[in-house]
Amino acid sequence: MLVIDKYAYTNRIVNWSPKIKGLVWLMCMVIAFQPIVWLKAILIVAVAADTIFVTKVSLHRYLKWFYVILPFLLLSIIGIVFTMSASKTQLYFPIHLFGNYFGVSKAMLPKGLLLGVQVLAAVVSTYWFALTTPFRQILDLLVSLHLSNLIIEETMLMYRFIFIFIDSFEEIHRAQNLRFGYRNIRTSLHSLSILVKMLFEQIMVNYEAMTHALDAKLYDGEFKVGKSRPQND
Amino acid sequence: MIELKNVSFAYEKNRPTLKNISLKLGEDNENIVGIIGPNGSGKSTLFLNLVGMLKPSQGEIFVDGVPIKYGKRALNELRKKVGIVFQNSDQQIFYSIVQDDIAFALHNLKLPQAEIDARVDRVLKELDIESIRNKPIQYLSGGQKKRVAIAGILVLRSEWLLLDEPTAGLDPDGKRRMLALMKRLVANGQKIIVSSHDMDFMYEICDHFFILNNGQIVKSGRKKDVFLDEQLLNDCKLEQPWLVKIHQKLHLPLYADQQDLFNQQESELKGREQQ
Repeated sequence: MLVIDKYAYTNRIVNWSPKIKGLVWLMCMVIAFQPIVWLKAILIVAVAADTIFVTKVSLHRYLKWFYVILPFLLLSIIGIVFTMSASKTQLYFPIHLFGNYFGVSKAMLPKGLLLGVQVLAAVVSTYWFALTTPFRQILDLLVSLHLSNLIIEETMLMYRFIFIFIDSFEEIHRAQNLRFGYRNIRTSLHSLSILVKMLFEQIMVNYEAMTHALDAKLYDGEFKVGKSRPQND
Repeated sequence: MIELKNVSFAYEKNRPTLKNISLKLGEDNENIVGIIGPNGSGKSTLFLNLVGMLKPSQGEIFVDGVPIKYGKRALNELRKKVGIVFQNSDQQIFYSIVQDDIAFALHNLKLPQAEIDARVDRVLKELDIESIRNKPIQYLSGGQKKRVAIAGILVLRSEWLLLDEPTAGLDPDGKRRMLALMKRLVANGQKIIVSSHDMDFMYEICDHFFILNNGQIVKSGRKKDVFLDEQLLNDCKLEQPWLVKIHQKLHLPLYADQQDLFNQQESELKGREQQ
């Protein structure tokens, strides 16, 4: 079970219209990618604070969610700012290497940092949207934007089956772990390959069962996703 | 009425899963028919044959006197008449929100929206799952998922409802609810065929039984006909329901269900006190 999903259903602004939330998200994105840097910084702080307020998530847990994206972000920044150069003067902290200098490029450092702030602002805003909007509202938003049915259908099915997939993954992983399948790198690789194989086999078995269930429900090639009905409870 | 005439079915050649089965389902006063058999006896295979998802390698199946045809349109008509709920709920719920999934089959039938809404509302109420109608599937308990899976078929209002192992994995509360639900459905005129090896459950709910072992029907009849032969049940890797056990071992009368036993014993006790 994804904990992150729970907040979307229990936050303080769960009953806001999805269109408003979508609009807020869009505005945040515009601010994240406009050129004024201090605005982006304010956005990060403000949206992060608001997220913690409306979802009542602990700061510790909120920060933990950034571990997922941090490696990607850091790697891209490192890739941008570190460079080889013939002259010492273009670099901070130059290191003499193979007749050239290796270090942080003076020209690229601001660009790298700008990218970092930009991405962080966008991610913080997207977390805000994901953590405050229940899935049914996201579907409503997609439907009212008149996106193609195929995209909406795909989104809906993914959200349904990602949880089953994660559950199967965790079950197998736990069973392997209990029998010391992940003691060292060698056994880990071996276990991981078995895990992937088992997931693949399960897909085949489930596929057959689901085909039968679809037949029983007279499936004709289309999953209709309409607007949700007004709640009367 | 559903009738099987000499039906055999084999997944692999020369290794039949169903062997020459002939039976009639849904004769008068048989509203819940139970197919009892151990694991691997062919219960699920029989069900898949009944809804035309598998085709018998020999013999024929008649629904209301007409043999099943295997064209797409004919099968759709059959499945409007005979609905089936499988054992694993997760494999038959496709939408992420409860009420969307229940409406799925009706959208496939291209019914008008008002009709769909009305039918969905009705089923939600009938199955007592109105409070979870807007919930995402992954937050439901096993029993709730089971009821959503049943609701998704009940909206079709088919004459027959096939339930494959409906109590598998349910807690006692879930089982009780399932029992009550099936009784309510039958009271509304639904005909049910249920497969299981949960002996007490089957004894309580069904009014006609077929015991399936190794792809063959080894016994059929009503409560008092099929459960008295302990040896046969043991040979089939089954066991006697507890009400039958106390009947045979303690020489109590054979009660139709738990409530019957309690009611009669209570009135007997009262009778004794008055003396």
